[in-house]
Parts: sequence; structure tokens; C-alpha cells
Amino acid sequence: MSNPSADHGAEDPRGEGPFTNGPGDGALFAMVRSLFEAADPVPAGLAERIRFSVALAGLEGEMARLTAADAEASEFDEHADGLALARGAAEESRTITFDSSDLTIMIRIDANADGTARLDGWLAPPRRCQVEIALIGGSLEVGADADGRFAFPSVPRGTVRIVVRPPERGSVTDGRGPTEARSVITPALVL
Amino acid sequence: MGDDSRHRLAAAAGPPAPVIALDDLIDELTPVLWQVARAAGLGREDAEDVVQTAWESLLSHLNTIREPGALTAWLVTATRREAWRVAAARRKTQPADHEWLGAIPDPRENSEDRALLAEEQRAVWTALRTLPPRCQELLRIVAFVPRPDYDLVAARLGMARGSVGPTRGRCLDKLRSALGNGSWVEEEGHR
Repeated sequence: MSNPSADHGAEDPRGEGPFTNGPGDGALFAMVRSLFEAADPVPAGLAERIRFSVALAGLEGEMARLTAADAEASEFDEHADGLALARGAAEESRTITFDSSDLTIMIRIDANADGTARLDGWLAPPRRCQVEIALIGGSLEVGADADGRFAFPSVPRGTVRIVVRPPERGSVTDGRGPTEARSVITPALVL
Repeated sequence: MGDDSRHRLAAAAGPPAPVIALDDLIDELTPVLWQVARAAGLGREDAEDVVQTAWESLLSHLNTIREPGALTAWLVTATRREAWRVAAARRKTQPADHEWLGAIPDPRENSEDRALLAEEQRAVWTALRTLPPRCQELLRIVAFVPRPDYDLVAARLGMARGSVGPTRGRCLDKLRSALGNGSWVEEEGHR
């Protein structure tokens, strides 16, 4: 079948005859794409990991500083951007405090029997607002009550950040989305 | 108290609009950037880092970029530059292996790799390998670029704007005729 009659001269790019001279441009690109998708696939989760870091980096907000952590939780991991808390001793409860200019966030992390984590938090001074946990692949959101308390009963293990949204009133600023008001974001921590 | 707190998985419902748009872009364009980094000869781990770095550096430039097309081209350029930088640093410490197609498994080498690729993909691989390196890179990258961004991206890949069409066309023609010389297409042609 490798017949030499593969006459280059006859390769009229416009392919007048009923038979074309091979696949069209779009089909060729599709073939190249298919080759590399099979031979050199994008690592699983890469886009997701990038979404996670980019979403948080792009968030308008003030980065809270870690001010206190109990001994088990105080190993730091510089791998994530900034500060990440290394996983503490497996089943112990950990208490961590973050500070921003006008807000203190204290959280306690407990292990659930099913392998997830329970996270209880307090905001000082108390404010009624939305609190979000950003995880790879999604987020969880709860409201903090009038005492500034909030709780996430079941959070998947992994890298998370806590985002404390501004109080409702703060987001009314005209023409600006709610992200324009100052959220407070904690460093990444590993549950 | 956690029982009355409302949980919401926000992966689908999503955070505010600007973040969603960026998320979509990350999903759509990360495969392109992956090809850019790998075509520069990087290993998979380095390529991941380079792609992530490109996205992060985009954040500080977001307001200078007006249209999506320009954004794709900007990212491709940033990724390519960073990939070259990393590849050059690697070459100082490692024996050079410049031919990027060497980075994907040679489907002829062993049966395991062969099984990973369909017949058509093997034919494309073989044909692609006969093309000049510049064409290989161009086709590999542009194959993953959303169609409206072809021109800008191809232009950024180092060609003068005026010659974009013909050059892309020439590379495609070369691939087409290389495929035509292979037995796979010959057989197909007779069906």
C-alpha cells in the first residue's frame, strides 16, 4: 500500500475531486490533540489545584496572621503559598488563632469518627456574617451567629482556608460586588 | 450548635462572578499551557509548577488584558518563557535531551506503550516526528488552543503576524502529507 504514486504534484490543496487529499485542518488538529491527550495527559487535578490557589490569591481581602497555635499544630509547611499548617497529631483537637487588623478568628479542629474534621470557630469582636471554608474543588459556607460563633460539623481532610466575609452591611457599596468589601482570609491549613 | 448551620457545597453554585469566569478559563486553558510547558522539554513536575506560576503571574496583569484572546496569548507566552527558563536551568545539571517528542512514549518501543495509543494516534506520532521541530511545537500547542485564539497565539509563538496563516497551513500540509505516506492512511484511503 505504500505506493510511490503518492504524487505530490496531484496534491491539489483545494481537492477538486470527490475524494479529498486527506483530513482537513480541523480534523488534523483533532488528531494531534487526541495523540497528546493519550500520550501526555494533563495531570489529574492540576486545573483544580490552580483554581484553588488563584481564586484565593485573587480574592480581595486581608490576609489574617497566625498568632497562636497549640504545640501539636505548630509545625509549618512552606509549600503552599505563605503559611500552611502541617497536620497535627492525628486525633487530637487543635486550637488555632488568627489575627487581622480588626478581627480575631479562633478555631478548634476535632477529628470526626468518619475521617472528616469538625471545625468550631469564634470571631472577636462578634459579628454576624458568612464564613466560608475554601477547599480544593469547592467550598462550604455557614453563618456566624450574633456571638460570632460558627461551626462546620464535617469538613473533608485536606488543604483549606477560612474566609470570613464582611458583615452584611459592608457589601452594599454601590457597583461593587461583595468581594470588594474586605474579607479576611486565613493562611492555608491542612486539616 | 452545628446542626442548625446551613451547609452548602458551592462548587456548582459558585462564588461571585469574577471568580467563576476565571475558573472556567483555568479549566479551558490549562491543557494548552500544559502542552506549552511540555513542548519546551520539561518533565511533568516542572511543567506543573510552570503552568501554575503562569496563572499566578496572570493575576497581577489581569487588568492590563482586555480580551480573552489576548489573555490566552499572554498565558502561552508567560508559560513558554518560564518553561525555557526552567529548562535552561535544568540543562546545566542534567544531560541534555532536547528533542521534546522524546518526552512522550515512543509507541514503537514496547507493547505496553503501544497499547496506550490507538492506531491513529501512533500514525500521527510517527508523522509528527518527521516534521521540523518548530512545526511540531506549533501544531502541538495550537491543537489545544480555542479556535478564536489561533491567530494571536500562533503569532506569539514567534512568527510575524502576516505569515501566521501560511505557516500554520504549511505545518498542517506537512503533517497531512507525512500522514499520507504512512500505511495507516493508505489503508484508510482504500476503504
